This record gives sequence, C-alpha cells and structure tokens, in this order.
Amino acid sequence: MPGFVREHLRPLAGSAGLHLALLAALAGTALNWTSKQPPVQLAIEGVVVDARDLPKSLSGTRPSPKPAVKPQPAPAPVVEPPPPEPAPVPEEDVQAKQQQAEAAAARARAEAESKAKARAEAERQQAVEREAREKADAQQKKQAEADAKRKAAEQAEQKKAAEAEAKRKKEEDARAAHDAKVRSDREADLKRQLAAEEEGAAVARSGVVDEYRALLAQAIERNWIRPPSARAGLECTLFVTQATGGTVVDVKLGACNGDQTVRESIVNAVYRASPLPAPRDPRAFERRLEIVFKPTE
Amino acid sequence: MHSVTVRIGRFAAQLAGLTLVLLLASQPSRAQLRLDVTEGVRDAVPIAIVPFGGQAEGGPSDIAAIVSGDLRLSGRFAPLDRQDMVARPTTGQEIRFQDWRLLKSDYLVVGRLNSKGGGSAVDFELFNVQTGQQLLADSIPVVGQGQRAAAHRIADLVFERLTGIPGAFSTRIAYVSVAGTPPRQRYRLVVSDADGYNQRTVTESGEPLMSPSWSPDGQSLAYVSFETKTSAIYVQRLATGERRRVSARSGINGAPAFSPDGQRLAITLSRDGNLDIYVLELATQSLTRMTSDEAIDTEATWTPDGRSLYFTSDRAGSAQIYRMDLDGAKQAQRVTFTNGYNARPRVSPDGKELALVTLDRGGYRIGVLDLKTRNLRVLTDGRQDESPSYAPNGATIIYASESRGQGDLALVSSDGRYQERLRSDSGDVREPAWSPFAPR
Repeated sequence: MPGFVREHLRPLAGSAGLHLALLAALAGTALNWTSKQPPVQLAIEGVVVDARDLPKSLSGTRPSPKPAVKPQPAPAPVVEPPPPEPAPVPEEDVQAKQQQAEAAAARARAEAESKAKARAEAERQQAVEREAREKADAQQKKQAEADAKRKAAEQAEQKKAAEAEAKRKKEEDARAAHDAKVRSDREADLKRQLAAEEEGAAVARSGVVDEYRALLAQAIERNWIRPPSARAGLECTLFVTQATGGTVVDVKLGACNGDQTVRESIVNAVYRASPLPAPRDPRAFERRLEIVFKPTE
Repeated sequence: MHSVTVRIGRFAAQLAGLTLVLLLASQPSRAQLRLDVTEGVRDAVPIAIVPFGGQAEGGPSDIAAIVSGDLRLSGRFAPLDRQDMVARPTTGQEIRFQDWRLLKSDYLVVGRLNSKGGGSAVDFELFNVQTGQQLLADSIPVVGQGQRAAAHRIADLVFERLTGIPGAFSTRIAYVSVAGTPPRQRYRLVVSDADGYNQRTVTESGEPLMSPSWSPDGQSLAYVSFETKTSAIYVQRLATGERRRVSARSGINGAPAFSPDGQRLAITLSRDGNLDIYVLELATQSLTRMTSDEAIDTEATWTPDGRSLYFTSDRAGSAQIYRMDLDGAKQAQRVTFTNGYNARPRVSPDGKELALVTLDRGGYRIGVLDLKTRNLRVLTDGRQDESPSYAPNGATIIYASESRGQGDLALVSSDGRYQERLRSDSGDVREPAWSPFAPR
C-alpha cells in the first residue's frame, strides 16, 4: 500500500487536490445556494385593504399640484433718447501769411472786407448756430416734455400694472394659502386614516381580529344544533349585523351547501349565540360581520 | 356437535320456540306500554308547543302534549316544559316572540281545537321564534281516531317542515308481548300507535307468537303462531280480525315477509330437510323455493323494488347476510364481511341500507350496513339487541333490547346519533315491526 501511494503520489495528490478544489467549489456553491434560498415565507396575515373602503381622499381624487406662481415679466426699462448732437461748428482758419507790402493794403482792404465778410459770415453763422441751437433746444425741450409725458404715462401704466399684479399676487397667495391649508388638512386626514389603518393592521397583525372571528365562529358553533343532514364539508357564509354589545340584529345567509334544515339551523345558531362575544381588543369590533361557518367534524 | 350448535346460533333458536312450554298467564296484562325516554337526547332542537286552545290541559287527548311527546321521541326535538311557559298564545297574533326567545326556543307551535259545522278541526301554526317567520299554518279535521290522530298529524307536518323528512308519528308498531313466567306465559300480538298508545291485541295465545310483518298497505299482519303446537303462518286483517292460515307445512313455518306489492310472502320452511327460503304466492298458494343450500337460510326481507331478497345464512360457517335476485340464477351473494355474526336484515325504505343484528365486541347490537360502500356502522351498545325495524321514513329504527331477561323496546336514529330506550311495563316485549305509512 505505501508503495502504491508512493508510486502514485503525484496523481493521488493531484486527485486529492482536485477533490479538495471540487469540494471547495461545492461548498461555495452550497453556501451560495443556501444564501440564495428564497427567504422563508413568514405567515404574516396581511389585511387586504379594499380600495373601495379607503377614504375618497386616498383614491383617485388626489388634488393636482398647484402650478407654481408664474413670474410676472419685469416692466421694460424706459430708454432715454440721447440728446441731439449739436451741429458741428465749422472752423475758419484765416492765416495771414507774409505778404508783400504792396499787396498789404489791398490785402488789408481785402482783409478788412474779408474780415467783415467773415464777421458777417461768422455772425450769420452764429445766428444760424443760435437759431439752430434754439431750435434744437426747443426740440429738445419738446422731446423732453414728450418724454416726460410718456414716462409719466408709462409710470402710471406701470404702477397700475404693479397694483394689478400685487392684487393678483395677493389673491394668488390667498388661494395658495387656502389650497395649502386644504392640502395640509387632507394630509392630516390622510395621516390620521393611515394611522388608523395602521393601527387596524397592527390589531390585525396582533391576531386580535383573527381571534375575534374564531371567537364568533365558536360561539355560533356552540349554539348550533347540528341537523343529521349536515354533512362533512359544510361551508356557509353568514352576514351578521350586530349592535354594540353583540346583540344580533340581522342574519343573512350567503353561499351555503347545506339543505334547508341546515341553513335554518345555522341562522338560528347565530340568534341563539346573541349577544355575540366581544373581541379582546375593542378596536376589532365590527358591526357588520361576514363569517364563514365551517363546523368541525 | 359443538360447531353445529354454534352454527345454528341465535336465529335458529328464535325459530325453535317449540321448546317453550306454555300455559295460561296467571296475570292477564292490562298494563299500557309506556314509552319513557330514559336516555338523554343530544342536539335536540328546542321547540315550544303551547297548550292548544279549545280543550282542557292534561287529558289523554291534550293535543300539545301529544305533539310534544312525538317530537321528543324522535330525538330531534326538545320540547319546552309546559311549566316554563310564560304565555299561552293560541294564534299567531298573540305571540310575543321575545318571550320565547328568552326561553331559548327556536320554534313555536300554537293552535286551537275549533268546532266546525258538525265536526271539529285543529288549527295550528308553526313559527320560527328567532325570525318571527310563520313556517306552517294548517287545519286538521278531527275524524276517526280523534284528537290523538290529529295531534300525530300535526307532529308529522311540523317534523317534516323542520327536518325535511316526513314525520312517522301517525304510524303504528306491532310487537309481541310476553307476560308471566315460564311455564305459565301468555303471548299477545299487539298493535299500538307509534307513541305506544292505543294498544290493541291482534291475537293472543298461550303458545308462542312470533315475527309480525306488515302488509304494505298497513291493513294486515302476517305472523307465526304455535297455537296448534306446531308453527304456522297466518295473515290477519286488523280492521276485521279475519285471518287466514297461509302456511302450515311440516316442520318449521317461519319468518314471513310481505313483498312490496303485497301479493307474496317470503317465508322460511324446513319441509325439505333444512331451513330454506321460499316465496309464497298468497292468491294461488304456489310456492317457489329460493334457496337449496345445506345451511340454514332464513329471515328474508324484500328490496323496495320487490326484485331481490336479503336473508341470513350460515353457509359460510357463521351467520351472514346474502342477497339473491328473484328472477336470476338464484345465486346468492354475500354482502356482510365485517364481524362474525350478521343476521336479521331489514332493508331501509330508500333501499340504500340494511339494518341488522351484528355481533360487536361481545354484544349483539344493531348495525346499519351501507349497501354501496359495504361499511357497517354499529348503532347500539346493548348485549342482546335484536329485531331492528325501520320507521317508514327511514329516520328511526325500533328494536328489542333484552336486559336482565326482560325485553324492552328501544329507538335509535338510523344515523346512530339519537338513542332512546323505551321502558315498557307490559312485560317482556319483543320483535317490534314498524308499520308503513298510512295511506292518505
């Protein structure tokens, strides 16, 4: 044997290694597999809430969100028209160059003439300028007046718009505030409802409702005088109305696979069980009960 | 020989009443068969039957008392004690339902005896106390047997309305009563109402009387009498007392059973050496041998369609029940396989079951064999229970139960749920036979 081992050491080691590797892989898979096991279904008795039972606020008629207040376009800035450019005054550069003396007199005359001329021209020029300036001033004044007038009108308009906007905004705010209040009220209601439901669900989860139903079924079965025609597999749905205190007010039989005698005996059993037992937790009390009567054999 | 003794067993011993020495009874029995419920009733529906108007309370024709007694005897109802009643309404308008709800009665019967023209009638109403709903309102004319009969009819109708099964309170039972101690005994064949009242002696003898069997019309009884020191079968009309000896062949003439058409009797004869079943045409006296086995074949009973017989035979070594078709090859098929002894079959009115005597845990008890499933249910727990007979509505089986040497009658519902022992003070009572429904 040892010889065999020695002889086949390598393949054996290889085989062992392979086995180990496979084992490891298998273990890994197994672990993986265990971890991938679907979670154990906990037997939680969920209370099925019928949409029809929910308060209206919950279903369908959720208030649509109010659109955000639209920003009012800012009033366009009033652009001041630029003052009119004063007309450029031409500059007459009279240059007296070194003239010949002879020509000086003529020139002087001519100069005087031209001076007078220039003066006249200048005066005329000045008059034109003054006129132009006056005209420009008048125009400017007129423009300014018009501008002022327009500006005033614009300002009035703007003021009016602002006032309207303010009013609108005020109304909007009021409405928004109202809506917000309604919404918050509804939310509060909803929260209360949810809290109540949650509490109901909690009650249900705690088994009180199941216990109550079992208690009722027991009370009915205890009071049931089983007719011989009641066969195995009997199942009848009872709609029971009870007053506070458990007094049976009305009994209606729904689906029932018993004969007339059996049906009557079950209805009578409910009346005989009156007053019905109260639930351990008063919150589990229901005025209208739907009880599935499935007597034990 | 030991095995032979065992083999012959009880049913042969019943037939072999020859050994009984008989003399006139020293004390003629005048006692009434008193049917007292001595065992508790489970699951009985509480019902109040208010004393009826127009008649005094407490007499033998107290209608409400008769209806209460009938319903209580059915095992299905627990009538309210009269002293617990807080009111005596006799019509629906007078009922305050809350009173009866407080008394925990589910149903209420009110009524009154009214004179109508020359005769009288009983008007009655049945109510559901819980809902106040009127379930029945009817008027029963008082004729013939009078107020008791009218009361039984009311019980029939109330029972049928509340259980869905026709009531069998207007029927009768026949039985044999034995008074005195051997060797001075007096045998009487008695017919009474199903509640034990109105006993009438059909015939009387210092010799044994046995095996009464009703004709399907309820007018006649066939029975075995040893009045000539040997057995003979008679058919007697109850109304007139007129009777006919239909079989007095050599050896044993026993166990007559009317066919459903009333024209034939299945009987047991030993004229050919051992006990075998024969069918006798009453009009022609023609006799057809049905079995020719070496074993004992006896206690034949007809299926409701009249085409087959069930009977007891010990051909397999112990008493068991077999079935045979009349028009077939006369091949008998064994139908009982549970328990070592099954005898005295009676077919239920619906043909689905056999009531029989079975040896169960050391006692002879009444069982019911479901013919479809072959399931045998033991219904009683006596030591010597015998002679089961179905009520014509199939709901109840009457049988004889012997304890301390005294035979009493007892009732058991065919589902075994209700069991009532009826104590009789008229001596040893045996072989009850429940009548068919009276023709209406």
